[in-house]
Amino acid sequence: MAVSRTEQRGRVDSLLAQVHPEQGEIPAAIFSDPDVYRLEQDAIFSRCWLFVAHESEVPSPGDYVTRYMGEHPVIVTRDEHGKIQVLLNVCRHRGMRICRADLGNASHFRCPYHGFTYKNDGELIGIPFQKEIYGDDFDKSRFGLVKARSESYAGLIFATWNEQADSLRTYLGPMTWYLDLLAGRAEMEVVGPPMRHELAANWKLPSENFVGDAYHTLHTHASMAEIGLTPSAKWAKDGYQVSAGNGHGVMVGTPAAKFIFADELLPTFERHLRPEQFALLKSLANMPGTVFPNLSFLVSAITFKGRLISHTELFLWRPIAPDRIEECTWLLMERDAPQDWKDISRQAYILTFGTSGIFSQDDTENFTAITRNSRSTIAGRLSFLYEMGRGTTPIRGFAGPGTVYEGKYNEANARAYYRRWLDLMEAAG
Amino acid sequence: MSAPSPQTREEVLEFLYREAELLDTGRLEDWLALLTDDVQYRMPVRLTRERTSPTDRSDQMQFFWDDRATLELRVRRLRTDFAWAEDPPSRTRHFVSNVRIAPGGGADELDVRAYVLVYRNRGDTAGYELISGERRDLLRRVAGGWRLARREVIIDQASLANQNLAIFV
Repeated sequence: MAVSRTEQRGRVDSLLAQVHPEQGEIPAAIFSDPDVYRLEQDAIFSRCWLFVAHESEVPSPGDYVTRYMGEHPVIVTRDEHGKIQVLLNVCRHRGMRICRADLGNASHFRCPYHGFTYKNDGELIGIPFQKEIYGDDFDKSRFGLVKARSESYAGLIFATWNEQADSLRTYLGPMTWYLDLLAGRAEMEVVGPPMRHELAANWKLPSENFVGDAYHTLHTHASMAEIGLTPSAKWAKDGYQVSAGNGHGVMVGTPAAKFIFADELLPTFERHLRPEQFALLKSLANMPGTVFPNLSFLVSAITFKGRLISHTELFLWRPIAPDRIEECTWLLMERDAPQDWKDISRQAYILTFGTSGIFSQDDTENFTAITRNSRSTIAGRLSFLYEMGRGTTPIRGFAGPGTVYEGKYNEANARAYYRRWLDLMEAAG
Repeated sequence: MSAPSPQTREEVLEFLYREAELLDTGRLEDWLALLTDDVQYRMPVRLTRERTSPTDRSDQMQFFWDDRATLELRVRRLRTDFAWAEDPPSRTRHFVSNVRIAPGGGADELDVRAYVLVYRNRGDTAGYELISGERRDLLRRVAGGWRLARREVIIDQASLANQNLAIFV
């Protein structure tokens, strides 16, 4: 039986009416409902700034990587003038995917279907037999590749389909202060290509996990203390939870037992950061966070190969379907760190947070089972419990900006994340 | 350098089948005993590249970048009470075929290449995951038989269809 668009919207609206972020009530059905997912593609993934690549992935003119903005395939390329372009990977003639490799270097992209050729800034410059078949006055400039607006912060390239969107810097707001610690503390580069794998989970579950769920580490990751990688199961309890506006959030784990970055780079860090940022970096123990909607990040440190060593990574939770995502994970590294530090940091990352990572393994078990449960009509009507820390009041005097709570076991960031989500969903009526 | 004898071939096949049995029955400590102390266990990220590209694998980023110490850590973790990814355990089956054997670098070493297909099913879902790839192994003869000194798995997906790699390939 066909369901009209109005009926669909009515169903979504009645579901949205059950979302009460400030009361800590989030209905389970939003983690698998197909109509909610459809609306998210318009309300969120067509309007927000979305992470697409790190600048070090396209260092030279012609370098490109293929990515997705939500469900939409894009080419992220550095054109012949050195400018980064984010182009919809769809030929304007019949919709063929014009670039079908993960990465490479090309000054032009030629569509396999009919041979339409585009410069790497998106301009359509060649159509086989153009004059003969389209006539003398055919205007090719009308059919360049669709361009997304793109801007970078701390080497992180974001793009949006929303021409009316605020600047990236405004969108990120107070989050920039923490992204400086993450990706601007030195000249950073990604190590190799990202690891990618698909899992049967809704994109919001890992995003909210990183935005504000330090609490899960106590039980989900209790095995880490048992095998000696972390000092105790509650290693991620101390520090601060920071709501950075627009749904963004970060958890600043502190204090550290000792410096978790390369000692040799202390002068570099001091040069790249403001004094109060540098002071925080020196006592940083860990730092997970999420840039709304679906870019998460992490600075993590474990005792590995006889030393306390950190690794830094980005996670993109790319929506494929209501109950399916691709997890794409990049390792970020200080370009000038000593080689042995880089080698051990990379191995620590792969052991703990890549596709085979012994932290990530148990997280995926949670994300997939919750998604599956939320499809049950009985479970789907449940309101999940997001009340932790509702009575706590923000503190003053923290070094960084945002709404800051002492202690990382709190669901303030998750509530702020879903408030932003709800506002965007309601606005898209 | 001569071709491996039928006897050697038989020993190698027996080693690979025995290893598959240990992995599929969860006898991971016995599996560790089949590895040398200097074992290297790797799985490069595979990429979609144009045919003219010199390689479609990354030597910079790998799904596994393990040595004896990290493999032991992984197994020790799976034995804790908090290894949810494999407790309850998956049902797995390692199919090993297309075995080719050549002399290895050292006198007591063999380069062994084999295709591997791993079936994995979890919980009460009928769905399953597959891992398809080629193993590039270095086997070393020690007192007591053959040991695995190096494994590189060339995996046949750029984006894996596996929710995690909590199992060994």
